[in-house]
Amino acid sequence: MSAAADPRSQAIIDGVEQLHPEFVLELPSSTLKTILGHFIDRPGVRTFPIPREEEGVGILSGLSLAGRRAVMIIQDNGIGNLITALSTFPQAYHLPMLIITARRGGLGEYNSMIHNVSERAERLLDAANFRYFQLDHRSPIREWAPSVVRTYEYAQITHRPVFLLVNLMGG
Amino acid sequence: MTETAAFSRTDALRIIAEVLHDQPMVLTLGGTVREMIAVTGRQPSHLYVLDSMGLPVPIGLGLALGLENDERFRRVTVVEGDGSLLMGFSVLSTIGLLKPSKLLVIVLDNGVYLATGGQPTAARTTDFAAVARACGFDAKDVDGPEALRAALAESLTHPGPLLLRVKVGTEAPSTAFFLEDPVVLAEDFRRWLKGPTDT
Repeated sequence: MSAAADPRSQAIIDGVEQLHPEFVLELPSSTLKTILGHFIDRPGVRTFPIPREEEGVGILSGLSLAGRRAVMIIQDNGIGNLITALSTFPQAYHLPMLIITARRGGLGEYNSMIHNVSERAERLLDAANFRYFQLDHRSPIREWAPSVVRTYEYAQITHRPVFLLVNLMGG
Repeated sequence: MTETAAFSRTDALRIIAEVLHDQPMVLTLGGTVREMIAVTGRQPSHLYVLDSMGLPVPIGLGLALGLENDERFRRVTVVEGDGSLLMGFSVLSTIGLLKPSKLLVIVLDNGVYLATGGQPTAARTTDFAAVARACGFDAKDVDGPEALRAALAESLTHPGPLLLRVKVGTEAPSTAFFLEDPVVLAEDFRRWLKGPTDT
């Protein structure tokens, strides 16, 4: 399956694989189909769906406290759901976690309202004082997988949640 | 379910702390944290969730998944309230999906948002144990202190996740604010989880 993946999705898969995750928490998006499909089918990694982003924040917090390697993969229109949970628990308690977040909106968007949240993702994260890094058309594809690893390490070093915003739509 | 409170939340917390004294425990926000500290003093095995309504059970679920193969712990307990559980109600479905073998959710159901003045929750018309069972894991109602003590003892050998719904009263004993730095709370709990040889 992964051999047929688009280069950006494949790079994210490669980067997450290099983390040797024990758990992958996922909330589906059409743009994440390839990445989530890889981990859902992959033996050796416990991949499971979360029904809401804030529930994932709680589960990821517990895994972090237990010292387990985990990553959450969501879409940016769910950022609004998790702000309070992320602010009051892992951000306040200094729990490291990586949240890979697929971008929507911008040129090529086909949904008539998702841009209302997605195109303001950075401003929402800035307002909430959440650290993030970005991968998009400005980033050479060779840097994508290493950036996943470096963002995970950054979260561990700075003891806080960190987002990696990834544009899988071409923007 | 019964409308009559069998005993106070503080009494329930005293029994929970006694039976599960050496097991990791996540405590829900508001009066539950303060009353538990009044009962036991501050414990490193207790993770105090100071805000984050709706999050204690997901946090406990993550802990239970992470400690699944840690033989030191038989149960990862979450002491939750009815209002906070309702805010994150979807987690019951996720527990049923993942079936973390050590997770114990104790719902101290007083039927109100006590910390904010006693406004009613939807617990009166919600059968929490039935919802948990419908989500795919065991649950039961517990009435009274002796039944709670017995259910907790039994839970230590019960295979799989378990929810105990305990009807408690709406007494709100006067307790001091707990204003410790959350970073310290997390680090104390993490060090306790690691154990003395790893700290």
